[in-house]
Amino acid sequence: MSEPFFSQLKCRECGALYPKKAIHVCEYDFGPLEADYDYGKIRAAISRGKIQSRPLTMWRYRELLPIDGEPTVGLKVGFTPLVKADRLAEALGVSELYVKNDAVNYPTLSFKDRVVAVALSRARELGFKIVACASTGNLANSVAANAAAAGLESYVLIPYDLERSKVLNSLVYGTRVIGIEGAYDQVNRLCSEIAGKHGWGFVNVNLRPYYAEGSKTMGFEIIEQLGWEIPAHTVIPMASGSLLTKINKAYREAVKVGLVSESKFGIYGAQAAGCNPIAAAQKAGTDLIRPVPKPDTIAKSLAIGTPADGYYAVNVMRNTGGAAEDATDSEIIDAIKLLAETEGIFTETAGGVTLACAQKLIVSGKIPRDERIVICITGNGLKTAEALDGHLPPPARIKPSLREFDALIAK
Amino acid sequence: MAKFKGRYWLNFSGPKATDPLIYLMSKKFDVIFNIRQATISGEMGLMGVEFEAEREELKAAIAWLEEHGVTVEPVEINTIEG
Ligand SMILES: Cc1ncc(COP(=O)(O)O)c(C=O)c1O
Ligand SMILES: [Zn+2]
Repeated sequence: MSEPFFSQLKCRECGALYPKKAIHVCEYDFGPLEADYDYGKIRAAISRGKIQSRPLTMWRYRELLPIDGEPTVGLKVGFTPLVKADRLAEALGVSELYVKNDAVNYPTLSFKDRVVAVALSRARELGFKIVACASTGNLANSVAANAAAAGLESYVLIPYDLERSKVLNSLVYGTRVIGIEGAYDQVNRLCSEIAGKHGWGFVNVNLRPYYAEGSKTMGFEIIEQLGWEIPAHTVIPMASGSLLTKINKAYREAVKVGLVSESKFGIYGAQAAGCNPIAAAQKAGTDLIRPVPKPDTIAKSLAIGTPADGYYAVNVMRNTGGAAEDATDSEIIDAIKLLAETEGIFTETAGGVTLACAQKLIVSGKIPRDERIVICITGNGLKTAEALDGHLPPPARIKPSLREFDALIAK
Repeated sequence: MAKFKGRYWLNFSGPKATDPLIYLMSKKFDVIFNIRQATISGEMGLMGVEFEAEREELKAAIAWLEEHGVTVEPVEINTIEG
């Protein structure tokens, strides 16, 4: 099948065009390359009805994803629940609130399965036999699982001193896990050299233009699940800032190809106070990102001190009338508990960041209480269980006696 | 010794940010530099640059820049993700 929709890569800085290969920065100005489409053709080819007739996965929007043929990896990823969160809305004092729940994304319980599905499908089209990534958790789990299911060889590079459960969640899939000793920036430099030298498909380096587009599907799903409307306010966690920029892109593309009518929307970014380079820049009114050399937060999945898309994320927030917030460790934990107690959803620390920041944005009046709000929950609480150590009461303990039981619940 | 080419983002901030650091680096180390992009706002500057040098020389030059308060990241930043 020859697909005319995805045409080329384009530099986000100078607009220079590049062929659809495993490249990711512009030769002239080092600007990031982004997938570029023929929107006229897509508009003519898709409709709400056509999308709705397809299986309930992220691939129902495949005309807007950067692969040539049919997807071959991660076929069941996406279409996670959009939960109308009335109990949480009441707790926050807002009228209409939804939770987009990627804590139950398939197969590895985070939104990263979306980006990996696209990256590995494209990796196959480009002829890669070995795929790799460097990660502290969710991305590694997703690459390991999806590569295993696709029969691709994979390498996962991690800082050597990661938590056991995160390492285990990659090892079990038979991927080659390599622990690297050294500080974050040294590991970063090594990985970029490996990516250049070994000709592997590094999902978030040389395959980044393809990888990043997968995040758009979270935005398309939100629109469709709201009955083809763009929510007035969307709150999104930020590490590199990529997900935030791609949800914005999804909302714009949906208008461009005629799936929804145009409406005003605000995009809001959430970070941890212990690693807030993007939020700090937004609050200071600048788009120059000051690196955070030593991130210190329980939200490790968001702890990127030098965010590649930070500049673009700040601009999306500014252009849509949105804003950024950051949350302390204790605010993150309170938010994890609040989401669990009101909606029965157990999120990882990144989700705690998102909810805590949403709360602060509502209290400060930056998000109005009487308009539709969506918060993006991107990962599962079981992966960061240790964050709650000491924050939940131990279970009550009694002898096997009805009298003791009755006495206990009478308290 | 083979020359190595690397692409980096340099972030200048702090008390030494206004010193002519790239010039001083190239005097001290045998490194060819090629500036591709630069932005300055307030007391902070960001520069996209290509360095070409013998590998050990480049490592030393980068270490020297870091000692002078410059953050040096490969253009492929965020190779580690969550
Ligand atoms: C659970 C979770 N949420 C959100 C993010 C943010 O992703 P991005 O780098 O696209 O900003 C990550 C990234 O690592 C993550 O693991
Ligand atoms: Zn360019």
